[in-house]
Amino acid sequence: MARADADASRSGRHLHGAALKRQHTREQWSVLSLVVPALIVIVLIILIPLSWLFYLSFLGDNGGFSLENYHKMTQYKSYYRIFVTTFQVSILTTLACIALGYPLAFFLAQLPPRWAGVFMLAVLLPFWTSLLVRTYAWLVLLQKRGILNEFAMQVGLWETPIKLVHNMTGTLIGMAHIMLPFLILPLYNAMRKIDKDMMHAAANLGANPINAFWRVYFPLSLPGMVAGSLIVFVLCLGFYVTPAVLGGGRVIMVSNQITAILENQFDWGAASALGVVLLVATTFTLYLAARVFKFDAALFGRD
Amino acid sequence: MEIRTKLAAVVAATFALGTAATAEPITVVSWGGSYGQAQDNALFNDASRNSGIEIIRESGASMSKACLQVESGAVTWDLVVTGSGGAAAAAAKGCLEKIDYSVVDVSDFYPNTYTDYCVGSDVFATVMAWNTDKYGAPGSDGAPNSWADFFDVEKFPGTRAYRANNVDGALEPALMADGVAPEDVYNVLATREGKERAINKIRELKPHIAVFWESGAMQAQLMKDGEVDMTTGWNGRFDNAKKDGATVGYTFNQALLDYDCFAMPKGAPNKDTAMAFLAEVSKAEYQANLPFHITYGPTNKKAYEVTTAPAELIRALPSHPDNVPFMVPVSLDWYAEHRAEALELYIEMLSE
Amino acid sequence: MLIDSRLKLSFAVTDDPLGTTALPIEIRDLTKRYGSVYALNSVDLDVHSGEFLTLLGPSGSGKTTLLMAIAGFNRPDSGSIRFGEDEVILTPPHKREVGMVFQSYALFPHMNVADNIGFPLKLRGITGAERATRVEEALETVQLSGFGARNIDQLSGGQRQRVALARAFVFGPRILLMDEPLSALDKKLRERMQIELKHLHRKLGVTTVYVTHDQREALTMSDRIAVINDGELIQLDTPEVIYNSPANAFVADFIGESTMLPLKRDDAGALLFRGQKVGDAGADEGKDWTLVVRPERLFFAGAGAETDDQTIVLKGVLREAVFQGESEMALVSIDDDTEVAVRFGTSGRASPAASITGDQVYIGLDRNDVIIIPGGQAA
Repeated sequence: MARADADASRSGRHLHGAALKRQHTREQWSVLSLVVPALIVIVLIILIPLSWLFYLSFLGDNGGFSLENYHKMTQYKSYYRIFVTTFQVSILTTLACIALGYPLAFFLAQLPPRWAGVFMLAVLLPFWTSLLVRTYAWLVLLQKRGILNEFAMQVGLWETPIKLVHNMTGTLIGMAHIMLPFLILPLYNAMRKIDKDMMHAAANLGANPINAFWRVYFPLSLPGMVAGSLIVFVLCLGFYVTPAVLGGGRVIMVSNQITAILENQFDWGAASALGVVLLVATTFTLYLAARVFKFDAALFGRD
Repeated sequence: MEIRTKLAAVVAATFALGTAATAEPITVVSWGGSYGQAQDNALFNDASRNSGIEIIRESGASMSKACLQVESGAVTWDLVVTGSGGAAAAAAKGCLEKIDYSVVDVSDFYPNTYTDYCVGSDVFATVMAWNTDKYGAPGSDGAPNSWADFFDVEKFPGTRAYRANNVDGALEPALMADGVAPEDVYNVLATREGKERAINKIRELKPHIAVFWESGAMQAQLMKDGEVDMTTGWNGRFDNAKKDGATVGYTFNQALLDYDCFAMPKGAPNKDTAMAFLAEVSKAEYQANLPFHITYGPTNKKAYEVTTAPAELIRALPSHPDNVPFMVPVSLDWYAEHRAEALELYIEMLSE
Repeated sequence: MLIDSRLKLSFAVTDDPLGTTALPIEIRDLTKRYGSVYALNSVDLDVHSGEFLTLLGPSGSGKTTLLMAIAGFNRPDSGSIRFGEDEVILTPPHKREVGMVFQSYALFPHMNVADNIGFPLKLRGITGAERATRVEEALETVQLSGFGARNIDQLSGGQRQRVALARAFVFGPRILLMDEPLSALDKKLRERMQIELKHLHRKLGVTTVYVTHDQREALTMSDRIAVINDGELIQLDTPEVIYNSPANAFVADFIGESTMLPLKRDDAGALLFRGQKVGDAGADEGKDWTLVVRPERLFFAGAGAETDDQTIVLKGVLREAVFQGESEMALVSIDDDTEVAVRFGTSGRASPAASITGDQVYIGLDRNDVIIIPGGQAA
């Protein structure tokens, strides 16, 4: 009997069976059609330019396929150093953002939502002014005869001006300031989602506040921190304005080098090759992070 | 004089009426800061009024962007300001229109201030400038006077600024400081060893280079803010900084004589109108106004005849006959051939 | 000093895996205000050593505030809480040594089952094999042997509940607090867990304070019930007494089903319902009295039955009868604005089979089942 039923359903002889199946298929297609605009956008603004980038990077001076753009990168140590600088700046900025952002996000997460909103507004305020203005504001603050040095010398904190800008220090200060909201937003969200009972439970089971924080709160906030850190890190890798203005020509990141090559040599191939290498390096880093994150995810109950 | 100007304006206007009445406005792109403002006040505004050619002024001129427009077939710029070297490189890439010298009259221009692809707009010098409070006024006793002084941090202790991310005008001073005679500089730089010799000299100075500058605006700002004590840069920027109250002076001795020019991207949308405007703006009477706004000399010799600028202003121009003998003319041929390699070596040193 | 000695004692206790020692809780004059609202208004409460006491009340009554104050999660405005001899009102929660089961379970999602249960042991410096043994014993007690390596999100609601329970008692606390621990479970599982919790309590012998708003749960599980409303302790007694002798209309209404019928007091002090004497006010001069009628205590008397020494009989019209499976509920109106609910079994013997809607019926109430409370019915 059961066998007969199964046969009947396979041949679609059940009442309205075929029509219901058609309806199901139609619904699936109409849901699928919703992603079409997104697909078009992705193809237009990501896939086509990216393919173009790859294509240009393999184009030699004679117009044919060539690896000369990549070969050139191995001829000079500067390219290696520029990539090291790029990753160094990105990692340090990310660490600075964590050091500044974690306590701030924690503070915000403890506030009643209404007050947290007000403070969050203050955190996000920098987003509303132009990047260039913010960067130059730091220059005005930090330079040799800038506000900070003048003030500190007047108060007697130090005698001669301290070099705070036109170097790595200034670059990191500016970058961390600009990137901070990108860390705080996902982190704050993750912290808000932590059930208050978790901390109660930790305390109840005998954990003092420090233990409760490190063994329960911190691990639970980790996904938000990883997400925010990845955003900051990846954004830093491609940053141009801040290192150009606050680095004083000493902090040369990949995007600064790309600009130099374009401005001086109009060499799209060489510039594209740099872009491709940065993209590959970034993808690889993200892959590594995902491996680590998966390890995390396992702790959270997934395989 | 007044009558002549008026007459010229009338003639220009009547000439312009026929062609410009139906013409589209052209897009003229220059740089920001005091340079672009000087061009607006001295050249563009009057030339536009007199010719009847409407112009749209944009900032952010760059040969690489012009080339990008050409290569992507979406050219929106008609006339672009560029350094002479940039124009040469862009022309070699095939990004520029040939100048129609039957329209643009360069018969009164200094030689070597125009090429097939660009028409000189002004003559400038890459000089060494310093804080006069610290090292004394130019020409005074003990004031720096040569590239050797610039590189000598024992004789002139203090911080320096130098060019970032771009090799234009960066190697020649180092070689001269290392004892190469000005007339031999480009010969020595033609070899790899010569380039490395220059780079090594800069490498020696690097601990004292507090900032590498990216733009003319930055040169002026660094001196105004007292961020560094001595820098390389373009003479006009320092004169304007001085007008704004900066204690800055410079010397033309061993300076690099160079010129800026107008170039037209290949396939410019309003090629004929833009060529007519280029002819207008190249006339001596406009260039004659330039010294009032920035101390860059005219490329059109006749401008010296028609200018109403006071003598001391004219004497301060880089292309003034009394100044030229002290300077080293920039070799476009060397840049065309050696720029790429020189840039790699320069960035190699910067990235250390 | 007191706390120190207590802590030593607690470590001695934790050496016994199932912590057979229990402590009484003594609460005096505990007050907590939120703005002008009293969440706890001068509450006095004694929880006996080893007893299962339920705090029962509607939401917002203050029962959870009281539990949180015992656990140390909120700071009362004034009052005293003693565990045994020791004043703990100023003791931070992590030093109170009480186990707690949260409504949300509050299991740590980044730890597996064994690590969750081992967490309090780890904090007490119990390591290695001993910790593993005690975790396994706790898992056995809650019938989850072998579940140690599971992740929390692989567990069902009932299993999570058991893990939360195991974690709460594994370190041998002498007081166990539970905040509506069964409210997230479906009815069948909840009823089974009620019995299991009761068993566990007997086994552990630990003083247990249990919070619920479910009166049936409270009646099922508790040694004693503390009924709380508006921040005040209304009645504290065994389930039977609370059910059979509610202190006031609120308790009568909140616990069990009931119909409130107003009584008249005659000059002699007899309390009358429609002229029938149902009780005696005695010396109490109070004017308002209420008869509380439990539906299951009413029965259908034969036609023409009369009130006598043993039974009070009310006459009315059957309005509706609703079949509910194990019982049937009938609504009988005894006059225009008084309706009484009657619950009766569905066996053929109990059912007034002949009656149909609109029939006149006689309902009886044994005089032993009469509940009279002072005051009007609008408590």
